[in-house]
Amino acid sequence: MIRYIQGNGILHRAHPFTPFTLAGAVVVLAFALPAPIGPLVLCSLMILLPVIEGVGVIVRTAGLLALPFWIFLFGIHGWLGGDPLTALKVAARLTSLIFVFLTVVVSVHPGRFVDALVARGVPFSLVYLLSATLQAVPRLGRRAETILDAQRCRGLRVRGSPLRRARALVPLALPLVLGSLAEVDERSVALEVRGAGSTARPTPLDPPPDTPYDRIARWGLAALVALALVLRIAL
Amino acid sequence: MTLRVDDVSFAYGTNSVLRGVSFAAEPGEAVALLGRNGAGKTTLTKLIVALLHPDAGEVWVGDWNTTGRTPEDMATRVAYVFQHTEQQLFARTVAEEVIFAPRQLGVSRRDAEGIVEEVLGLVGLALHRETHPYDLPPAERKLVSLAAALAQRPQLLVLDEPTQGLDRSHVLRVCEILRAQARKGVTVLAVTHDLTVVAEGFTRALVLDDGRVVVDEDVVRIVASEGRAAELGLSVPAGPALSRALDLPGFPIRMVEVARAMRSRFGVG
Amino acid sequence: MTVNFEKVSFWYPGAASAAIHEVSAEMLAGEVTLVTGPLGAGGSTTLLVAAGLAPQVTGGRREGAVSTLGVDPSTRRGRAMLRGRVGVLLPTPHTQLSGMAFSVHREVAFAPANLGWDRARIDDTVERAMQLMGVSHLADRDPTTLSGGELQRVVMAGVVAMEPELFLLDEPAMELDPQGAEALYELLPILAESATVLLASTDVDRALAIASRVIVLDRGRLVARGDPEEVFASELAAAKGATTSIAHIVREAGCAEPYPITLEAARTRFLP
Repeated sequence: MIRYIQGNGILHRAHPFTPFTLAGAVVVLAFALPAPIGPLVLCSLMILLPVIEGVGVIVRTAGLLALPFWIFLFGIHGWLGGDPLTALKVAARLTSLIFVFLTVVVSVHPGRFVDALVARGVPFSLVYLLSATLQAVPRLGRRAETILDAQRCRGLRVRGSPLRRARALVPLALPLVLGSLAEVDERSVALEVRGAGSTARPTPLDPPPDTPYDRIARWGLAALVALALVLRIAL
Repeated sequence: MTLRVDDVSFAYGTNSVLRGVSFAAEPGEAVALLGRNGAGKTTLTKLIVALLHPDAGEVWVGDWNTTGRTPEDMATRVAYVFQHTEQQLFARTVAEEVIFAPRQLGVSRRDAEGIVEEVLGLVGLALHRETHPYDLPPAERKLVSLAAALAQRPQLLVLDEPTQGLDRSHVLRVCEILRAQARKGVTVLAVTHDLTVVAEGFTRALVLDDGRVVVDEDVVRIVASEGRAAELGLSVPAGPALSRALDLPGFPIRMVEVARAMRSRFGVG
Repeated sequence: MTVNFEKVSFWYPGAASAAIHEVSAEMLAGEVTLVTGPLGAGGSTTLLVAAGLAPQVTGGRREGAVSTLGVDPSTRRGRAMLRGRVGVLLPTPHTQLSGMAFSVHREVAFAPANLGWDRARIDDTVERAMQLMGVSHLADRDPTTLSGGELQRVVMAGVVAMEPELFLLDEPAMELDPQGAEALYELLPILAESATVLLASTDVDRALAIASRVIVLDRGRLVARGDPEEVFASELAAAKGATTSIAHIVREAGCAEPYPITLEAARTRFLP
């Protein structure tokens, strides 16, 4: 499960907008930097990023996510198409994106991110949508786990071949989602009566400090992106 | 089937929950498990159905040691009712929910449908066969999960707060069902907070405190004295309280019995 | 009169029969009013209607006149005027979490922050509410990892922190052990000193000591209302099971009303 990992790296301490700016910049750079050397260098840096940030545990997950692309791309372009350079370029770009997004997602505390949005005066509904999505994944995961436990207590066999396991889970999947939806009504009651969407401007409780370093970093990243784009068009 | 918990300890990480818990429950016994929030009651029940395994000690269900067994193994002997129905209910209709376990355990569809009919009648949900469990009020969802457990035809029935949120008539009905199960020779173990439930449906009570069994006695003895109940931070339920106050013969504790004793003692009116 | 119902009926979407039917009742400031009756009697619906959540959030249709703190809670204007003044607690605490707070402290602060209170006032009220509900030691925990009992206390603290003028509490002690439930019920008259408390519960034994007024419903219809001692002693309420366990047993024994509702009363009646 991909979720926040405690730590004390630069991204952890930064204002939540800064890591997301980094992720955005990497997206543009991956496509704007001259290929194949640009994406390759970027890809190497991004693979190092989680290690530097102190969340090296996600390297394995990210690698497993990226691996199929490498196999697929080299299969299509390299082996069938005789164009391994394109395969390398595209695979390096995708890998950069996978690594940077995973690192950012596990390094930014969702609560701090929500606080930052509230402090900036982002409308409640938008903040809620984001925050609810962030919490929905672990909640759904836990719910799936307990429901699975309960069904095992009723004789559901989940051990055995992967096929058998997958088949056992199918009847639980849809009801799991439906069950969660049934709770939506009660949840909206809870929000409504606690002043959610009130016309008053919500009080930011612990707005994360936006330091000069953060601003410099974000402007720096923007400048880098702009430069890469200019070079790309000029060359 | 005999349940034997033998010097069991369990911790979530470093957070020690049970420290050397021992007791046994025989077929036909209905044992209530009492204790404050966080005393380790739910953890103990999960150890019995092999959702958790003891760090030390052993849990025996009949001749099976739960160590090395999975919940799906245990399901042929033990049925478990979770505290919160949303942890358990998943099917689109009440009947589908109830038929799930017997089908998983290899009962033929025809026989399983017979079981569904029977247990839904037992809990009073016969008219809700085709209702979506989540369209029922929370209290009745609880009865669905009880029916689903009974459909498993367990020899050991483990329940976590089976009467939570129910009104008196439903509480009495659930207690009656549990007593009937015990009479059939099923071993019943239920976590509850409610001493009325204990008096109505159980023969013996264990009190868990700080991960240890601190009380293990006859229900009558616990509910008989104001002092004993107060020691446990509980108040004596109405049945035994009336019984004592009016000095009813035989010291009945269940409401029906107390009412009967009052009728014969004071006459009608 | 804080809440006033005049011939109020409510239908949930798609339901053929009314969840409450022509109910007239009033709840007064400074009092704890108990709404009780067998399961499905309509207590929860009464609370939702008083808050305006039915039909606003639940959908469905309402008839009759409702006045909550002087306004109709289901109109746009009424909703705006009631925002932050009505605290609601539903019996399923895990669905009551805001989903926007990543610590207990923030969960409790959720409503006051939404209402735009200043920082000092928020800190103050959150501190007090957490202490009152005995959850101060959980302040830094992730609310989604709490046990049922802890969660119910935290959610209640979130309601208390909002300092509402009207509390609408549906089985607020469902997840609590007897000691916790007792403590919560004892808190209600204290809350009622500066607010109106409407408590929906089937636990008459526990509520008897703290309710100053009772409304008994059965399948959505008003069966009895008034002084708890009188109502619970009556056949009207007892026939629906809406009475104390003592009265229930005495009635089962075939005695005539008024039923003794406490042990003392039973002793006086049966022992010379």
